[in-house]
Amino acid sequence: MARVIVVTSGKGGVGKTTTSASISTGLALRGFKTAVIDFDVGLRNLDLIMGCERRVVYDLINVVNGEANLNQALIKDKHCDNLFILPASQTRDKDALTEEGVEKVLKDLEHLGFDYILCDSPAGIERGAVMALTFADEAIVVSNPEVSSVRDSDRILGILQSKSRRAIEGREPVKEHLLVTRYSPKRVEDGEMLSYKDVQELLRIPLIGVIPESDDVLQASNQGTPAIHLKDSDVAIAYQDVVARFLDEDRPLRFVAYEKPGLLKRLFGGK
Amino acid sequence: MADASLQGKLIEFKGASLAVMTAYVRETDAVRLADALHMMLGGMPDFFAGEPAILDFSQLGNSPDRVDWTAVLSLLRRYQLQPVGVRNLDEHLLEGARRAGLAVLGAESFSAERPVAAAQPRTPPPAPAPAPAPTLAPAPVEAAPQAPAAASSDNGLAPTLVVDRPLRSGQQVYAKGGDLVLLAGMSPGSEIIADGSIHCYGPLRGRALAGARGDTSARIFSTNFGPELVSIAGVYRTFERGIPQTVAGRGAQVRLTGSDNLHTLEITPLQYD
Repeated sequence: MARVIVVTSGKGGVGKTTTSASISTGLALRGFKTAVIDFDVGLRNLDLIMGCERRVVYDLINVVNGEANLNQALIKDKHCDNLFILPASQTRDKDALTEEGVEKVLKDLEHLGFDYILCDSPAGIERGAVMALTFADEAIVVSNPEVSSVRDSDRILGILQSKSRRAIEGREPVKEHLLVTRYSPKRVEDGEMLSYKDVQELLRIPLIGVIPESDDVLQASNQGTPAIHLKDSDVAIAYQDVVARFLDEDRPLRFVAYEKPGLLKRLFGGK
Repeated sequence: MADASLQGKLIEFKGASLAVMTAYVRETDAVRLADALHMMLGGMPDFFAGEPAILDFSQLGNSPDRVDWTAVLSLLRRYQLQPVGVRNLDEHLLEGARRAGLAVLGAESFSAERPVAAAQPRTPPPAPAPAPAPTLAPAPVEAAPQAPAAASSDNGLAPTLVVDRPLRSGQQVYAKGGDLVLLAGMSPGSEIIADGSIHCYGPLRGRALAGARGDTSARIFSTNFGPELVSIAGVYRTFERGIPQTVAGRGAQVRLTGSDNLHTLEITPLQYD
């Protein structure tokens, strides 16, 4: 059985696509056959983050409309053999997504033997976001440590509870995970940012990880390499931890405590 | 066109009853009313969503010589309240009200305060708001969804609605005719409404309205108090300056004290172990 995982947040710019790219890569590196679908029809980004934008021929909407088959549209990742990307269409809008169409794509992916299917949700609570979460078995709710992001995440959790297939059919509810991204322990220490504990207390779902704020993410995006591939980066390690926890391994939280820079570091700089 | 038998009958009259809200107006000065309304409903100009209302002047302090009806009415309409008539207005002010297009209703022409269990939707009780007491205190409109007779189950007891998952921002629950129990708390931006009492285990962070159809004995209980708004039988309170220290984040109950027209909302810590 393929597990469908939606990466969602409500608010834009919190790191959904970065997270989708890194977690799908992490799962693929662990040997699972993984697909990642960009639901942000009209504003496609995932292919850029994954560095495959020049290989896009067919997209999700083509498949939904039966203009191409899945094998034609799936793009094999340049880093791992087990990972495939289904890009969004840039020229259409989200109304082109139909529930039947999306369901069929997910069923077909399952028949192709995929273990995990990640749905990279667009921001907002409109059609694209609802389509991305409708068939989810699990949800990774991405939130930044600030109140408006937390509020929007809360809203999306409510939609998950009411509009997902699992909820409508009265099955076991979607398994929810909280991922706090762009976390800056220093700013938390200074009282400028919510702590991950605050965020978790507000949303009351299990925490799957905390991703530190880092310039590396922008760099990775620009290079078209998922952040999890970065060498010696806190972000990469944090995402590897998230993947491990997702697979039920025990990992302590890292990068959440603020360490005052020592004298030498202050004198000579450094990250 | 419609039925041929209706041809030539361009207007037809039938009796109908209308669920209507009563606004107890305790001040006729438009400026002071505007202040009070602003304090009550500040950011929500469309609060009443076109609701018709009867203006009741029975609790008017000093009867003024004249009332600037144009100013008062346009003020109320700004909040999308639609005044349709007046009652309990002093004799010398009636002519002005008539001229302003308001119907003059006798005190006996309708009964606003039927018992709660009666099959009368919307029985907004007189609702003095908390200090600083605004002079006009209608029951919050969305607190009273169009409810027919009190829903009761076969055994005659009102059903209790139990919600066992967290209530999220944007979600709304209404316990018609009975109590509401939340087992996993509620988030900011969500709303719970009960005709009876509200019991919330876990954080109470959104809007909580008990006694939505006028039951002044309804209460709100919470193990982790921190709402945006609480209301009992239309008497409500917001927390612009924060939740009182004695109850913030703790067990608390909200109830009405006083009697008849002098209800006050009381929030007290809840003792339990």
